[in-house]
Amino acid sequence: MAQVPEVYVLGGYQTDFARNWSKEKKHFVAMMREAVLGALENTKVEPKEIEVAHVGNFAGELYSKQGHFGAFFLEIDPAFSGLPTSRHEAACASGSIAILAASAEIEAQRYGLACVVGVEQMKTVGAAEGGDYLGTAAWYEVEAKDIEFPFPKLFGKLGDEYDKRYGLKDEHLAHISTINYANAKLNPNAQTRTWYMNYDHAMSRDQFNGNIGGRIHISDCSQVTDGAVAILLASPAYAKKWADRMGVPLESIPRIKGWGHNTARIRFEDKIAESRGSKYVLPHVRSTVTSAQKRAGVGDVSGIDAIETHDCFTTSEYMAIDHFGLTAPGESWKAIEEGDIALGGRTPINPSGGLIGAGHPVGATGVRQVLDGYKQVTGTAGDYQVEGAKNVQTLNIGGSGTTSVSFIIGT
Amino acid sequence: MLSTTAAASAKSSDLLSSRTINHVVVLGANGAMGLGSGALFTTAVPRVTFLARTKDKADGGLAAAVKMVRSSTVENRVDTGSYDEDFDRVVGEADLIFEAVTEQLDLKNEFFERIDKVRRPDSIVATVTSGLSINQLAEGRSDSFRKHFLGLHFFNPPNVIVGTELIAGKDTDPKLVDFIDAFCTARLGRAMVRTADTPGFAGNRIGFKVLNECAILAEEHGPLLIDELVGPYTGRAMTPLATVDLVGWDIHRAIVDNIYDNASDEAHETLRLPEYMADMMAKGVLGRKTGAGFFGKDDAGQRIVLDPATRKYVPKSSISRPDLAFIDTISNLHRVGRYVDGMRAFAEAKGPYAAIAQKVIGGYISYSFHRVGEVTDDISGIDRIMGYGFNWAPPSVLVDAIGLKRAIAMIDKSGLPVPPALANAQEGTTFFDDPQVNLGKFFVAA
Repeated sequence: MAQVPEVYVLGGYQTDFARNWSKEKKHFVAMMREAVLGALENTKVEPKEIEVAHVGNFAGELYSKQGHFGAFFLEIDPAFSGLPTSRHEAACASGSIAILAASAEIEAQRYGLACVVGVEQMKTVGAAEGGDYLGTAAWYEVEAKDIEFPFPKLFGKLGDEYDKRYGLKDEHLAHISTINYANAKLNPNAQTRTWYMNYDHAMSRDQFNGNIGGRIHISDCSQVTDGAVAILLASPAYAKKWADRMGVPLESIPRIKGWGHNTARIRFEDKIAESRGSKYVLPHVRSTVTSAQKRAGVGDVSGIDAIETHDCFTTSEYMAIDHFGLTAPGESWKAIEEGDIALGGRTPINPSGGLIGAGHPVGATGVRQVLDGYKQVTGTAGDYQVEGAKNVQTLNIGGSGTTSVSFIIGT
Repeated sequence: MLSTTAAASAKSSDLLSSRTINHVVVLGANGAMGLGSGALFTTAVPRVTFLARTKDKADGGLAAAVKMVRSSTVENRVDTGSYDEDFDRVVGEADLIFEAVTEQLDLKNEFFERIDKVRRPDSIVATVTSGLSINQLAEGRSDSFRKHFLGLHFFNPPNVIVGTELIAGKDTDPKLVDFIDAFCTARLGRAMVRTADTPGFAGNRIGFKVLNECAILAEEHGPLLIDELVGPYTGRAMTPLATVDLVGWDIHRAIVDNIYDNASDEAHETLRLPEYMADMMAKGVLGRKTGAGFFGKDDAGQRIVLDPATRKYVPKSSISRPDLAFIDTISNLHRVGRYVDGMRAFAEAKGPYAAIAQKVIGGYISYSFHRVGEVTDDISGIDRIMGYGFNWAPPSVLVDAIGLKRAIAMIDKSGLPVPPALANAQEGTTFFDDPQVNLGKFFVAA
């Protein structure tokens, strides 16, 4: 088989996730516009150079009563007239699926320069209604209909499954939350950067940290977020041209070195039934992580300098720790207690603050993770920089562990 | 010289380790600024003492602080007490004494005299005053007090608004100023701006000039029209006169009177409180806290608007909106993220109503740039406090969006002085220099 061309990441732009675009009375196209124009400005690329665009979005039909997001890319700049565009959906993994599609097209040598933008405007509706919309990422009729906040309850069950198999303490989940909020304070685009949080608060159980279902409290949850993130992906030929123009060596430009992608059955119960007898609670997630590591040729997690993972709830990060291979299965707590996952630790998880701290505009999250990976390996992550990061791995999950995508970004 | 940027980051860690703040005492901890600042300090300091006239009042401040940051764990770090029972002891123990008592010079002086007697010689004394002179407040105090005294002006509510002014007195130890700058930036997540000890410092000087000018214009045009003309589409979340109602007319008067009496500049008359406001205040009208100001509701719950000419309220529904199509056009551009197109359309809009809005916004830009060298060292300090403190489009952002030539023409056409920094700049110069700010967030669609 002929060698597959590399996919380069030229850079990108993230909107400030603390913004409320409904309060600003904005249409989501304003968000896409800021992200894409920001990415073009940061990379010094002209709009007319873009050859194809992919949009990641989960539920615009519900939040904004608008579909056909790919077409809205053309509203950003007149130079995009006639551009091939499409929109991709896989619940909270929508952004990563858009990146997979764009990189596959570059690998197939159809295009030299692609723009991927993930976008979600969620503050158009109240918390309960939004929670109901998110329920469509599960099997709505079976797992979400007439249930208040179905997703926290599903991820509470993930914690319960860990508890049953290996034991799980609230203290460890509280540490996960505390670390993510602390990292978010270093990230100028993080939603919660000014919020009040500490370990005591994450452990508190009064009205200010109410129960959302099962073992999940407010501090265990990512929040409702508006945001868009754009990145530019390039073929080796375009990247070379761009590197010359920028006066930098091609080798200094990060690449998507590996990817993993699996889908498990949509019902949480079916996933758990399928995983009985496995050391891993969500074996398909494990497979996504290891296939990305294998494709990147990094061996295992020891070749990874930092992780941006999908902590929609503290239980999902708890799951990610052993699924990444940072500990033996069921021993995620050890990495927390040892300080391995904090900034400055062995393998920092979510230096950006992750979904809990930085925010979780659903369709944008996968793109945000890759952009944060790019910032880390180019030494441009500012106050949340992981010193000397060469390889960063992402994990983006749609549904209750249903669609998993992982990328390794490195130089 | 002032420096509007945070202390150089390379030196930040050295600065932070040059002192420790383990105990803060908040005076006036039952007031909004006291309790809000107190709650903020608990995020970084292990012990915070809330003091008020009575322990009950301090306890009330703590309860409000818990609600403000939505965490009972604030209580774990806070103890409370009264001026009579606890002042000398806790002030003697404190690393930082944070004064947030009522904004009256005499009252503050009484507290500072008392602090001077019992504080440790190395403790820091900060005042949250929003405009009283730091040098004047330090008068008569010991050398050690004056060396350790500075203004630390948080904006309300401090847990939400990060813009903060840092004002040194003439005797304040520069190293202490650098330390507080670094501490507030790194530990409290503040966006710090160093300002001169001038009336209203930087933010209130410029912000209340604009607000008062809107109040003056409301006399002829009515509050409703002025708030629409200088509305969100011009680069702010809240309309100007609704802001004055929220802040309180008494606070507004204190700020503009202080600036009018103690500063002189090219826009002096725009800082004179309109007579109708004084008349209404004599009748007890103070804005939202008294139920009505420029805007309110009648007994039936219908929206009412002040008619400054008659000093009477009229139903909002009785006021007709003139043709303001240019605002609709600009709002629609903002809505889809075309802010530059929107602000260019603003600068070029025709007609008497557009002229009013252009004069206020042009005046904001002109006044801001003319204050450089007086209230801050450079325009970026003013930009930061207007953006992070007032949540208004900073003057540089407006110039960049409108375009230099158009901005100059708009200011000139309004009969206002064009700042030399703009007049002498090359076309294509950009003025705003903070890449971490999303410029689009300031331009709110109507």
